Amino acid sequence: MAQTKRKSRDGGGGDKAKGKRGKPGGKKQKGADARERKGPRLPNVLRKEVERLNPIEDEEIDSDEAEVYGRDFYEYEEELPEEEKRKNRRFDPVENLEYQLPEEFEDENVSSDDDDNDMGDAGEDEDEDEDDDDDDDDGRQGIARIPAFEGKKKRNTNVVVSEAYPESEYNPTRDTLDGEGPVNIEDLLNPLHGKSGYSKLRKRIHHLEKKSVPTPAPLPKADQEKLERMAAHEKSKEELQKWEPIIKRNREAPTIYFDDDMDLRSSRASDFKPRTEFEKKIASLVYDDQVKDAHLKDGSRLLELNKVSAEDERDRHNRMAKMRSLLFRHEMKSKHIKKIKSKTYHRLLKKDRVKATSVQSQMDPDTAKELAMKQEYERAKERMTLRHKGTSKWTKRIKERGIDVQDEGTRAAIAEQQHLHAQLTRKMNSMKDGSSSSSSDDSSDEDDIDVYSPGSDHARAVKLLEKAKEKTRNVLKDDDENEVPNSGVLSLPFMVRGLKKRNEAAAEEAKLALQEYESWSNPLEDSSGADNLNVGPPSGRMVFNGSKKNAPESSNKTKTGNKMRTDNYYANSDSEDDLEPEENVDVENDRSSDFHKDVNISTALLHEDSQNHKDSLFKNFGDIVQDPGPKTTHEVSIFASGSWKKIKSSNSADANGKKSTCRLESVERNQNLQEPVEDLDEDSDADSEGQMVDGILSSNPKDEYRLPSQAELIRQAFAADDVEDEFEKEKQEVLNEENPEPEKPTLLPGWGQWTHVQKKKGLPSWMQKEHEDAKKKREETLKKRKDAHLKRVIISEKLDKKAEKLFTKTLPYPFTSKEVFEQSIRMPLGPEFNPASAVGALNRPEVMKRPGVIIRPVEFEEVNPQGKVEDHKQIGKKQKKRNQSNKSRSSSDKIVTKVKTKLKS
Amino acid sequence: MKVKVISRSADEFTKERSQDLQRVFRNFDPSIRTQEKAVEYVRAQNAAKLDKIFARPFVGAMEGHIDSISCMAKNPNHLTGIFSGSMDGEIRLWNLASRRTVCRFPGHKGAVQGLTVSTDGHVLVSCGTDSTIRLWGVPVSNLLEEDVSSDKSAEPRETYVWKNAFRSVDHQWNSDRFATGGAGVDIWNHNRSAPEQSYQWGTDTVVSVRFNPGEPDILATSASDRSIALYDLRMGKPTSKFIMRTRTNSICWNPMEPINFTAANEDSNCYSFDCRKFGEATCVHMDHVSAVMDIDYSPTGREFVTGSYDRTVMIFPYNAGHKREIYHTKRMQRVFCVKYSCDGSYVISGSDDTNLRLWKSKASEQLGVLLPREQKKHEYHEAVKNRYKHLPEVKRIVRHRHLPKPIYKAGKQIREQNESQRKKHEKRKAHSAPGSIVQEPLRKRKIIKVE
Repeated sequence: MAQTKRKSRDGGGGDKAKGKRGKPGGKKQKGADARERKGPRLPNVLRKEVERLNPIEDEEIDSDEAEVYGRDFYEYEEELPEEEKRKNRRFDPVENLEYQLPEEFEDENVSSDDDDNDMGDAGEDEDEDEDDDDDDDDGRQGIARIPAFEGKKKRNTNVVVSEAYPESEYNPTRDTLDGEGPVNIEDLLNPLHGKSGYSKLRKRIHHLEKKSVPTPAPLPKADQEKLERMAAHEKSKEELQKWEPIIKRNREAPTIYFDDDMDLRSSRASDFKPRTEFEKKIASLVYDDQVKDAHLKDGSRLLELNKVSAEDERDRHNRMAKMRSLLFRHEMKSKHIKKIKSKTYHRLLKKDRVKATSVQSQMDPDTAKELAMKQEYERAKERMTLRHKGTSKWTKRIKERGIDVQDEGTRAAIAEQQHLHAQLTRKMNSMKDGSSSSSSDDSSDEDDIDVYSPGSDHARAVKLLEKAKEKTRNVLKDDDENEVPNSGVLSLPFMVRGLKKRNEAAAEEAKLALQEYESWSNPLEDSSGADNLNVGPPSGRMVFNGSKKNAPESSNKTKTGNKMRTDNYYANSDSEDDLEPEENVDVENDRSSDFHKDVNISTALLHEDSQNHKDSLFKNFGDIVQDPGPKTTHEVSIFASGSWKKIKSSNSADANGKKSTCRLESVERNQNLQEPVEDLDEDSDADSEGQMVDGILSSNPKDEYRLPSQAELIRQAFAADDVEDEFEKEKQEVLNEENPEPEKPTLLPGWGQWTHVQKKKGLPSWMQKEHEDAKKKREETLKKRKDAHLKRVIISEKLDKKAEKLFTKTLPYPFTSKEVFEQSIRMPLGPEFNPASAVGALNRPEVMKRPGVIIRPVEFEEVNPQGKVEDHKQIGKKQKKRNQSNKSRSSSDKIVTKVKTKLKS
Repeated sequence: MKVKVISRSADEFTKERSQDLQRVFRNFDPSIRTQEKAVEYVRAQNAAKLDKIFARPFVGAMEGHIDSISCMAKNPNHLTGIFSGSMDGEIRLWNLASRRTVCRFPGHKGAVQGLTVSTDGHVLVSCGTDSTIRLWGVPVSNLLEEDVSSDKSAEPRETYVWKNAFRSVDHQWNSDRFATGGAGVDIWNHNRSAPEQSYQWGTDTVVSVRFNPGEPDILATSASDRSIALYDLRMGKPTSKFIMRTRTNSICWNPMEPINFTAANEDSNCYSFDCRKFGEATCVHMDHVSAVMDIDYSPTGREFVTGSYDRTVMIFPYNAGHKREIYHTKRMQRVFCVKYSCDGSYVISGSDDTNLRLWKSKASEQLGVLLPREQKKHEYHEAVKNRYKHLPEVKRIVRHRHLPKPIYKAGKQIREQNESQRKKHEKRKAHSAPGSIVQEPLRKRKIIKVE
């Protein structure tokens, strides 16, 4: 009965399942069964009830309906069906309860709504499938053919549950008796499913079931606190970790900045309240919002300055700067000039000034008049005061002593004074006469000419031409007279040739110049008419270049003039005329400004003239005693200078000749000296040859002659000098110097020697011991020396006390190697050794702060730890920015006040 | 042919004003200046000497208290204001510029042991042995009033009475909480008469309390059981603690490096710690010859000042083992408290002789406004001195200080003791099996236990 009952129940179950699915296909029955187990598991009693009440209800539920309505009912997942849990051994143990159909089979028949359920199974059994894949198809076929209820049949056959008594109301079934057993959590839980939170609860329970550990007794309070503290410590450590990059950056930065800009508005001055009217007015202006805004945004906008364009301003600035610099230059120049003590320079300067004024006077009559007035005044003054007459103390004294005794400067000064006096006291008429009659005035004092006789230009020009001609002629003559020296270096053929060439060239130039003079003088003569000065007759030889007669171009003239000069220079090359060209140039320049009106006169002329003038001046100085007055005539001066030059040149030539002869003589002497030497040499050569011959002769009989070895040769070479011994001595000296030998102990004579006993005893033992010790010590130090074992080396161990100060005893702390340390102090820091742009960065201190600015503690900011160390400047900027942001944040409560500097008091 | 022409712009050679300096052009080629190093060395020596000549660190003394000064507080928002509390229960506010008392705060019945000012500078908190905490309003000092009435007194805004005497107080940065140390550590609020939180770790008195200004929720305390402890207000728990051989009198955090603090110890040394690892000190600062009573960091975080029982005030670099500067006067007695001014250029010390003393932090610094050229010159001198500071002569001049005889002798004695100990240890080490005797470094030696 029981069996049948169970059977029927099972079968009913199976039917129910079949019905539920509503799908034929017995082959799939097994899978369907397995799936069915996934469904909710009602307690059997309930189940029975449900079955009894409406057995068809379940069947009627459409698959779709089940999907729609009964979704929540089936949805939960139960881990293990009851059968598998083997609870109460109600089910037979089955090896392969969940038999999985092959995939191909399922693919054909799987219904749409079963897919979801199948998924899990398929997943679970994949391993098995993989194993099966290895088998051949036949195996699969066989499995596929297994009837659906095979498993159940097996179970039925295996387990036979026999009821001892018939089933009735009074005999409770086995299930009720021991099958379900006492009520467990699951039983209580099951009715809850579908409610919210059910699955969670179930999971927790499951978890508890799996590993349930007894809760330990609480730790003692101390330990508990310790643990808590440890955790807290770890946590706070982590928190503090964030500061590391900031700290690192600050420490590595070469300079750290704390000088944020002061916010003046928030200072204590803001507490000030205006009381009087004036203060109120000012306050209303100062605290005007617009003004404030403008000031904050751009203060310069308010200024008038902005209306002026930048370019204008720059221009103005530049102009001002230029003016200032010009002014400065002028100042400097005048200062410089004032400092110059040279009298000549000042005289020249004065002359220049006078000339300038004269030029001006010529330009306009007013100034001329003024100048004349001034002159007149001067003259009058001189007549009145007789200042330069020689009545002054100084002149009197000099005269008393005698002028001859005085030095040249004084004489010149006196002459000058007299001259000045004469000039200033001369009658007006006589002066005019003098200017026309005496040429000395013209030549010596051209200024006067310019001032007083501007009309006599023409005559002067003619005169000048004359002079020039004469000069050239002289030069030509000189050339002719210049005889080639018979002896000396100049007598050498190539020198002679060179001289000749030069002379010829000079002569040619001179002739050219002469021609030119003539060509100029002709028109001049024509124009003057009355003044027919006879030009000196040109010598016949001088005229052989008629073709170049007309060379009217001024450039040519100047050229020739210049050439002339150079020729002259060459001509008297031996004399001390070296200075002349320079002088000439100077004077020429001066004159050129003077003679601006007579353009016709060539520079050559000018040059000549100026030269002459110079000479005359010189002459004046020279012959001042004989001729103190201003009577030195131009002609005289020319001749004098010419002759003087000539004499000079001849003198020098003589000197040269002498010199050359001397040299020659010496050479001859040398030769003489050399000759005997040569003789001697020859003699010695002959001797040596003889010896050689002897040697060869003598060596002939000895057959075994071997060349000596290198070492032997060296030994022979240095046989006499004992180097090693010398070195040894030297070393010993050095050693003695560095570690001196201890002095021998001696007693003072007579000390302790008044008895025989003491005499016999000799030195006291402590003295001897000391001596011994000192000796030992010395020996030890000698042994310790680095060169103790080196025979041929002396290593001095003397320390340089002065240099010792410049070395550190040990490597300073942060440095790890000597090189790095040395490198660190290699570059100098000072402004003398570095450009201005680098000095600031080099000398910047580690901490930049300003007195009177409150420094706040560090605030956290993100720092890129990988970021490299930036330049100081950048860091500075950044920090400034940061500080500013800080400030804006806390500007309200920030009060900055300076500690007054009167603190010092 | 290319011709190189020397070109010079006129701008570079024109002076714009008559006062302008003529620009000097130099050839910086080192080969033509072979003496530069020698020149700079001599300059370094001279700079060191000049520093010695111009060293005038003492600015002035502030007298007025009638008992020794036990504590001081600086106003973090006002440069010239400094508060001092004395053993007779008087609190005074001083103006550093005029060196006068601006205001008095009478009320404490016993010694004032702790003073602190809120970050905004409006509230002064004091505590003392009479078991009270008093909150005072800081008077806003106007320039005019300062001159007229130098002395006025204030009433406490609040008075909180508690169960035990207090030894120290410190205000949290940017907040209205403050911490007191006494029987335990209590965290108070301005507005509540009872502490917000109380911590007790061990049974001994907490001697000093300091908040970390960079990380305001972290608090360091030292107690008379020779311990230093850290608290974290966020966690509401003490975090770590270690015990040293001798008591720590005072603690100060580095305001620029919130992980580091320095402890002033009874054994005449100061110890810098990284608060993340307590096993060893990062640096030991020695030179005092008696207990260090108080310590305060410069706001730049590069230096700190210590006051000691040996009657000296010293300034140390934050990472150096020896002092940079030592200040003493004949009349200055035991120093109980020191402060660094908020701009980092002055140091204030309060001592047993009832006086506050104002010192310059750099003895030879020139006060007042400096011209740019002066500034440059000073910088150059400093740089040169810094470069050659390792050379013996410069080092000697820079380090040389005249000390009072007792301090000099005590220092010498300490050095001798240390040396003999070292020798003894070395001998012992030489005569025992290798590896059997290990000398711990001084940084570790003084720490007994880490909890």
